[in-house]
Amino acid sequence: MPEVTRRDAFLRGARELLPAGPGVFAWGLVTGVAMVKSGLTVGQALGLSLAAYAGSAQLAALPLIAAVAPVWLVTLTALVVNLRFVVYSAITRGHFAHLGAGRRLWLGYIVGDVMFVKFTTLLAREPDYPHRVPYYVGGAVCNWVLWQISSIVGILAADAIPATWGLELAGTLALIALIVPLCNRWPALGGVVVAGTVAVLTHALPLRLGLLAGMVSGMAAALWIESRLDARGSGS
Amino acid sequence: MEWQVWLSIAGITLSTFLARSTLLVAGSRLRLPPRVESALRFAPACALAAIVLPDLAYVQGVLQFDLHNARLLAGVVATVFFALTRSMTGTIGLGMCAYWALRYLAGP
Repeated sequence: MPEVTRRDAFLRGARELLPAGPGVFAWGLVTGVAMVKSGLTVGQALGLSLAAYAGSAQLAALPLIAAVAPVWLVTLTALVVNLRFVVYSAITRGHFAHLGAGRRLWLGYIVGDVMFVKFTTLLAREPDYPHRVPYYVGGAVCNWVLWQISSIVGILAADAIPATWGLELAGTLALIALIVPLCNRWPALGGVVVAGTVAVLTHALPLRLGLLAGMVSGMAAALWIESRLDARGSGS
Repeated sequence: MEWQVWLSIAGITLSTFLARSTLLVAGSRLRLPPRVESALRFAPACALAAIVLPDLAYVQGVLQFDLHNARLLAGVVATVFFALTRSMTGTIGLGMCAYWALRYLAGP
């Protein structure tokens, strides 16, 4: 069997992201439109998309920017909406530990929800896969390119895309398709149900803290269910 | 004010780096308790669920957990379809068609 090269791994990472492409694209498009409709100039919207690369944080910050809120509040809001990535980086840090600090900085910057789930799926299925970092970068670059192209199209064509189409749903549907395979065992399924329910109930919290509340309680619930199942298994 | 918008954009960019790269740059110097390490396995699924469910259940800021919520129904259709077929592109396509059809049937 021919050896897997770093190039193969990069291309595989990119290829495995593509099925989610329509969802990522629709989401970027809607974010681009939303930035212009909230009052940003085309230049500012392009700058925000290319520099921040943070879909949900960008959307959460828009009303604050429009209201000329203080810069620290805008930054804090974006930081809180981004907090799930702190948890993601706790998972990846062991795999990047051998790299230089500069590389690690950029590997963190390019992470996205969809490519991250693909990456953790690879780690679970093929724990000995040799070129994890090129695989990660392949998925991340593919994600970045799709996102930026769609965002730029949305920014430039903001007036031609009516909000009534509800295109942002496509991004949510892509996330559903990512969640389903992760629920293959009881603890994960229970965690997902608790996370979703708590997030719905705490939706009114400021700074989108409901997302964080849902995630943390879901993780705790999954851990608890797992310990109960283990206790039952070893007791029999 | 123009400059304040650009400062805000810089602030959002800073928050991207802070959230995503701080732990990576700190590297393996940081040790987490085993229970926390163990809970991290469930983080992606739980984070996505905490994004998706409120997104489907709230219509213009109001909780609408019933059969009149076209987004919620489209989400259910997409979940069932993906569980059966494992086709992501098909799931997105069918889910969007279901959403548009449901809205059309509900009338203006």
